[in-house]
Amino acid sequence: MLSFEHVRKFIFSDFSLHIPRGAAVGLIGPSGAGKTTLLRLACGMLAPETGEVYTLQKNPVEKRSVLRPRIGCLLERMPVLEESVSVLDNLKNLQIVHRMSDKEFEAEYSVLADAFGIREFEHSTVQGISFGQRRRAELAAVLLHQPELLLLDEPTNGLDENAKQALQKVLKERVQQGMTLVFSSHNMKEVSDICNRIILLEQGKLLYYGEESTLLRKYAPMDSMRLKIAGNIPDMEDLPLEKYVVEGDELVLTYNSNHITASEILEELLKQTSVREVSIQKPDLADVIFEIKGGRNNK
Amino acid sequence: MKLTPYLAFAKKSFLNRSAYRFNHFMGILNTLVRIFIFWCIYRALYGERNEVDGITMAMVTTNFVLSIGMDALFSINDYYLPNRIGNGSIATELLLPISFKGRMLFENLGNTLFQLIFHFAPALVVCVVTVGVLPPVSFGCFLLFIISAVLGYGVLWNLSFLLQTFSFWLLNMWSLMTIKNVFLNVLSGSMIPLWFMPDWMAPVMNLLPFSSIYFTPVQIYLGQLSAKEIGTKFLVQMLWIGVLYLCGNVFWKKGKKKLVVQGG
Repeated sequence: MLSFEHVRKFIFSDFSLHIPRGAAVGLIGPSGAGKTTLLRLACGMLAPETGEVYTLQKNPVEKRSVLRPRIGCLLERMPVLEESVSVLDNLKNLQIVHRMSDKEFEAEYSVLADAFGIREFEHSTVQGISFGQRRRAELAAVLLHQPELLLLDEPTNGLDENAKQALQKVLKERVQQGMTLVFSSHNMKEVSDICNRIILLEQGKLLYYGEESTLLRKYAPMDSMRLKIAGNIPDMEDLPLEKYVVEGDELVLTYNSNHITASEILEELLKQTSVREVSIQKPDLADVIFEIKGGRNNK
Repeated sequence: MKLTPYLAFAKKSFLNRSAYRFNHFMGILNTLVRIFIFWCIYRALYGERNEVDGITMAMVTTNFVLSIGMDALFSINDYYLPNRIGNGSIATELLLPISFKGRMLFENLGNTLFQLIFHFAPALVVCVVTVGVLPPVSFGCFLLFIISAVLGYGVLWNLSFLLQTFSFWLLNMWSLMTIKNVFLNVLSGSMIPLWFMPDWMAPVMNLLPFSSIYFTPVQIYLGQLSAKEIGTKFLVQMLWIGVLYLCGNVFWKKGKKKLVVQGG
């Protein structure tokens, strides 16, 4: 469990939020929003100038030694593997550090090595492997001791599609087992797939913290509905639509989902004509970021 | 502090050393060449004389063999911390559930044990056969020599750690470490036996920790110190360990604080 109370550090001001145990939280926002800084505060590698940060109910700077076995973190510019040592030896060093028995290590290593395809390069030194392979090994390193809290900063950078899928699977399993995850990414689909809560930051301000669906309604409420109609073009003057376009036998409607729902529109249209096909396009988290950036640029 | 993980790192460090055999043999050769060069120089300086100011050539040779041997034995990696600060991994290591200093010490102890068995011992045998080494004056002196050598290691490790903590503020540690090594070579007796230093140097040497590292154990081995003097030298060695440890800890804590305030 994490909580931030009135934190003030560099770019943050009057920032308060609480992340409950077992949550999978996606940290999103434009570059420079403060995502990495927030993760550094959470793991105790940064101290707030004023305010308080509690990680697993403890001050992460003062109680670092107590928290160390319970946290896993993979942050920018914080290498977790020794360059001149093989991947396997690096992980065996972590086995010693986390006081894992050989049996525990083998069981956990087997799962992670298979998931991330590490075995093919486990005897290579870290400096001799590719960036993607290094990232896979780093992920195994931070997951090895089954942390209660996992802090990941852009973990899919450099990963191929298979490795991304594997990471998603492992993270989802761990969250189901009770791990708390805070995960920053520019890939909104990943965040959407893995996380059940979203923190939206912009220039050190907490714009939103909560469920994704609520966020979308707040920042990107415009849905789009495409219909193939079989009869007459219906009269839509009374519907609160943003706009509508007629393209032959197709209708493209744009509407604010806070004002009218898709079913309400369909119900009204079916009174006037027959509809052969319907497809609804909803905005995603990328649209939210786009909206925020657009707003900032307009200012 | 549970010792199990630290002993595991010491063991790992010991085993890792055996992987680089060529490097190891070159290390022994380097030690022997250094001893041989100094032996040749002092042999030439002594000429036909048996002793100079009461110091025999055999004592000088023993001093070189023991102090250069201990230098090889106490092979402390002066860049252990600076390298980690340089590449940023110190931040990750501070988040691991193990003492960074403890790991650093035990990895070095594993290395030192390897050096003792596979570097110091064979080099000593070669030296005994070739240039000749005086035996310890008594078994008691030999035991006291070992205790003093362990304390000397403590002085050197803490001195190295103190200097390494400066890497939190300095970008390049090479010059600082080079200065330390020059002082170590000159003022510890491994290059010039301290018996031959001018009298005005004595107070300078007494104010610095270097003579406590190699020269004190050598003096005890050769039986040059009375029981009272040995007690005093032990106290001086322990005092240096304490002072350097405390200073190192102050800088270590300040460095960690700097890292946390400014980010890893």
